[in-house]
Amino acid sequence: MNNENEFTGADILLKALKDQEVDTIFGYPGGAVLPIYDAIFGQNFLKHVLVRQEAGAVHAAEGYARSSGKVGVLLVTSGPGVTNVVTGLTDALMDSIPIVCISGQVPSHLIGTDAFQECDTTGITRPCTKHNYLVKDVNKLSETIHEAFKIASSGRPGPVLIDIPKDVQFAKSKYISKKDISFREHRIKAGSKNVDKNFVKELVNHIKKSERPIFYVGGGCLNSGHQASQELIKLVNKTNIPITTTLHGLGCFPGEDKSSLGMLGMHGNYEANLAMNKCDLMINVGARFDDRVTGRLDAFSPDSIKFHIDIDQSSINKNVKVNFHTNTDITLTLKEINLFIDSNNIDFGDKDYDNWWGQINEWRKKECLHYEQGDEVIKPQHAISRLYELTKQKDTFVTTEVGQHQMWAAQYYKFSKPNRWITSGGLGTMGFGMPAAVGAQMANPDSLVIDIAGEASFLMNIQEIATAVQYKLPIKIFILNNEYMGMVRQWQELLHGSRYSESYVDALPDFKKLAESFNAVGVRAKNIAELDDTINEMISIDRPVIADIWVDKKENCFPMIPSGAAHHEMLLSKYDKENPENQEKGKVLV
Amino acid sequence: MSSTSVYPTPINAFKQSKRSVLSVIVDNEPGILARIVGLFSGRGYNIEALNVTVVDVKKNLSRITIETLGEEKVISQIIAQLEKLVPVHSATNLANLSESYEAEICLVKIEFENEEQDQKILNFADIYRSRTVQKRQNIVVYEISGTSERINKFLDDLDTIGGIKVELVRSGPIGLGI
Repeated sequence: MNNENEFTGADILLKALKDQEVDTIFGYPGGAVLPIYDAIFGQNFLKHVLVRQEAGAVHAAEGYARSSGKVGVLLVTSGPGVTNVVTGLTDALMDSIPIVCISGQVPSHLIGTDAFQECDTTGITRPCTKHNYLVKDVNKLSETIHEAFKIASSGRPGPVLIDIPKDVQFAKSKYISKKDISFREHRIKAGSKNVDKNFVKELVNHIKKSERPIFYVGGGCLNSGHQASQELIKLVNKTNIPITTTLHGLGCFPGEDKSSLGMLGMHGNYEANLAMNKCDLMINVGARFDDRVTGRLDAFSPDSIKFHIDIDQSSINKNVKVNFHTNTDITLTLKEINLFIDSNNIDFGDKDYDNWWGQINEWRKKECLHYEQGDEVIKPQHAISRLYELTKQKDTFVTTEVGQHQMWAAQYYKFSKPNRWITSGGLGTMGFGMPAAVGAQMANPDSLVIDIAGEASFLMNIQEIATAVQYKLPIKIFILNNEYMGMVRQWQELLHGSRYSESYVDALPDFKKLAESFNAVGVRAKNIAELDDTINEMISIDRPVIADIWVDKKENCFPMIPSGAAHHEMLLSKYDKENPENQEKGKVLV
Repeated sequence: MSSTSVYPTPINAFKQSKRSVLSVIVDNEPGILARIVGLFSGRGYNIEALNVTVVDVKKNLSRITIETLGEEKVISQIIAQLEKLVPVHSATNLANLSESYEAEICLVKIEFENEEQDQKILNFADIYRSRTVQKRQNIVVYEISGTSERINKFLDDLDTIGGIKVELVRSGPIGLGI
């Protein structure tokens, strides 16, 4: 049959991607996706970025999605191609990042025969995707792809996988465009569009009554879109309520604003954690009471009335019981709160929370982020502070790997806008940052993109430097090189009698030469005198740069709420000692 | 706690656990059962009994009934997690409805040796109004339905008769709200 209204599965996929306004796809070819690669060869709307390992594709798609607010897309082959993306899919699920993964599958008639490069893709990825599909019928392909994009980006976003057998990529059918598909509401789960008026009224009443209120803002605010941030800023300015953000909430509210207490949680600011502990009203905007944030649950903010705005109903009362909640989108809810305050002429002018701010300013005097920078060895905190000072005039995107450097980046780099901070929070995936920087740079070709890295994490996906070089992506890899898996070493020091079992990263490459061998540029700072020049040089080079910053090998990340401790039991420096009873209990936690 | 489980659970591990029967309406599509079972095993919840059948061929809907154990907080979390699954239309805890009915069906094959045993079996079968499916010289097969508790009692009573051999199958509870 040669009907001109019929297209192959591979062409339908490309038509659907175009319909979804996808302009970039990260991928790696293989036997089971060759028909799709053939279709990619004959078109020019879609830019394909060839990664060096599939893990790079999925983190790049995450970086692309986080930095652009769009859905990130990747394409991988069957078997090892798709098992290599399992970590990244889990990462995206934990951090609510909208991505669509297209995977090839062996031809339908070979499924179940242990064919070459066959694996049970939908089985393996079921628990690490928001949803997944195996498309056995080409007539269902268009609809499936459009539904996948809708699901990935609706409600609480997340990764969706579409597994397409090779014969379906060749088979022909009509293409159904996005506008001709009516989605079934129960499958999309977009959350309620109706603002809960009672929630809004109760919240404003409680704000009026409270003496020690606080906003606790998470990644949900980011996912709700830029307008959520705008409404949040308005509301904070109106009410003069202090605000703390989670790791993923950084940037939703300007980090240098006087109302910002910075990040809270395990390595959060002293004033933020103490304020959470002592507050009488907690307004949770899109955060999920994660264990890194709450510390010991039975001592978590014991005296507060808790309000929770979260589009995911399973986040409500999961870890912490709240008094009021709504599952309506954050932007809509915050907008309604601002409207309610304005239209009822509610003035918070006489409610400046003077005592509360007085108390907070007392806590601030502890200067929990203080460090002593000597005249020789670079302190990692100082390296980040200088990086911030020397890049803050630019619209900079920062990605990170996972570990001490990530926490120092969160503490010392200040973000004033959403989507500029891209990090692996929930899963804590080492090797995330560099491919994520590739994705962020693809989405923002004219911006400065920096991966703040540790040398151990960087080595986990080092192959992607070749991707950056191939596509002339001038990403900067800023390595805080202490020759240790720093966070592992820190826990071994604090909890395991300084027995540094396997945490020293021996036989490190010479990162400068390594950069050169990839046709990237390598720069190095060995001491404090070289730091600023090295950073400036790194920024000035319009090519991928690896900056090898030698930092203090024994520095630990403070402040810290040890596992099993509560917010008010923070350690501020190495001189603070942990309550030994907590330490034994905490040791068994993560 | 009434022990309605086919797999008895250590009491200590579920101090405040309550038996709940959840009724879940889903799109009948490949993998849906795996999604639900995976959710339970992945998050450490218990499945005491499970029943799945298509209930609406036109709309392609299945009803899944799950008997589970857990504190109230855990049950609410299970419901919230179930409702996040794409093919799930609704998940309901039957206990939260003002009126709901529950039933289970059980087939029991009993091998006996003598007249006395036969009489006792017949007596219990009569009390519990079980239907005789098949009767041979020394084998009888009964069908009994009702609440899980009622079936448990029947089986407990059979247990008091010495020397007989019992083999059985249970559907797990199914339920419907009004």
